[in-house]
Amino acid sequence: MTKELEHSFVSQLEQNQNIVHKICRLYTHDSESHNDLFQEITIQLWRAFPKFRGDSKFSTWMYRVALNTAITLYRKNKRKVQTQDFEGISFKITSEEYDSTVEDQLKLMYDAVKTLNDIDKALVFLYLENKNYREIAATLGITEVNARVKMNRIKEKLRTILNP
Amino acid sequence: MDQLEALKKEWQSREQVFPKITADQIYPMLLKKSSSVVKWIVIISLFEIAFWTILAFFIPDSINEFNDEMGLNTIYTILNVVNYSVVAIFVYLFYRNYQKIQVTGSVKELMGNILRTRKTVHYFVYYNIGMAALLMIGINVFYYFNKEKLYDILRQDDLYAVIPPETFFSTFFIGQFVAGVLIIGLLIVFYWLLYGLLLRRLKRNYKELKKIEV
Repeated sequence: MTKELEHSFVSQLEQNQNIVHKICRLYTHDSESHNDLFQEITIQLWRAFPKFRGDSKFSTWMYRVALNTAITLYRKNKRKVQTQDFEGISFKITSEEYDSTVEDQLKLMYDAVKTLNDIDKALVFLYLENKNYREIAATLGITEVNARVKMNRIKEKLRTILNP
Repeated sequence: MDQLEALKKEWQSREQVFPKITADQIYPMLLKKSSSVVKWIVIISLFEIAFWTILAFFIPDSINEFNDEMGLNTIYTILNVVNYSVVAIFVYLFYRNYQKIQVTGSVKELMGNILRTRKTVHYFVYYNIGMAALLMIGINVFYYFNKEKLYDILRQDDLYAVIPPETFFSTFFIGQFVAGVLIIGLLIVFYWLLYGLLLRRLKRNYKELKKIEV
């Protein structure tokens, strides 16, 4: 039984691992802490897995546990690493014409998001993942109205960061 | 906010490049130990209780004899029983808080629960420091009212015998006071380092969440 549980967990995590990776990349500054956080999220997911009843999608449930771990449980072992030994975001280059200015813009935006505080980052992350405000609010534990207001303020913040 | 929208579009339409972790790599991860903040709070608090308990065994005999002669042993025994009962209650509370912490709830819920654990730890710290301070004050009041007896007993000790009788009590009580303040100060620094630093970031995040509620 436990073996079955383990197999089902591992295969689902393997399929959905990019969600965890995206969170790790947003919340850490080097590949070592990225792996550390991935490890910690995996442990927390596995611990909570017996309580996952399948009344929501595995991925939806993952967002909660993974963000909870990144924001509240994870102890950052390195303080304010300014030098990034792996560059923030990198998308798979699509076959169409490659526009480096778009790429640069995206990178700037991503870097701006990375400077936000833990909570704001979580909001932006869920927003980027195309979650609606109801889902965002439920994950964070605030009201839908608050989530909207907060998101507008974050957009304002990002604007100031990008256009000082 | 066009740039954010652009990022959102790309975020969804294109895949990001990540190292692929295989199932074979995930299995061993399940066996690894967590290093979460909560686990550290529990470990440290248990460690602390063990520390104070073990320390009690290392009180030199001379102090016990001295307490016996001063007629303090009964009251110390009673205080010990009271103290361990209170500590037992705290251990239970720590455990209950630990059980309550679930990663599956919302971010705010989880933070609230962790900070409740922190509050329990705080009370435990206040209790320890308060108890230490009260004990020191109480004992010195007791010494003050039993000056003669104290003098008779301490005079036999070589260390105290060198103090001239006229200044004996002022020297003794000033010494007690300085030692008391030092010990309490060390305790405060010790707890501040232990728990304050561990949970500072969490508190900041929680404040952030509380702020949106208004």
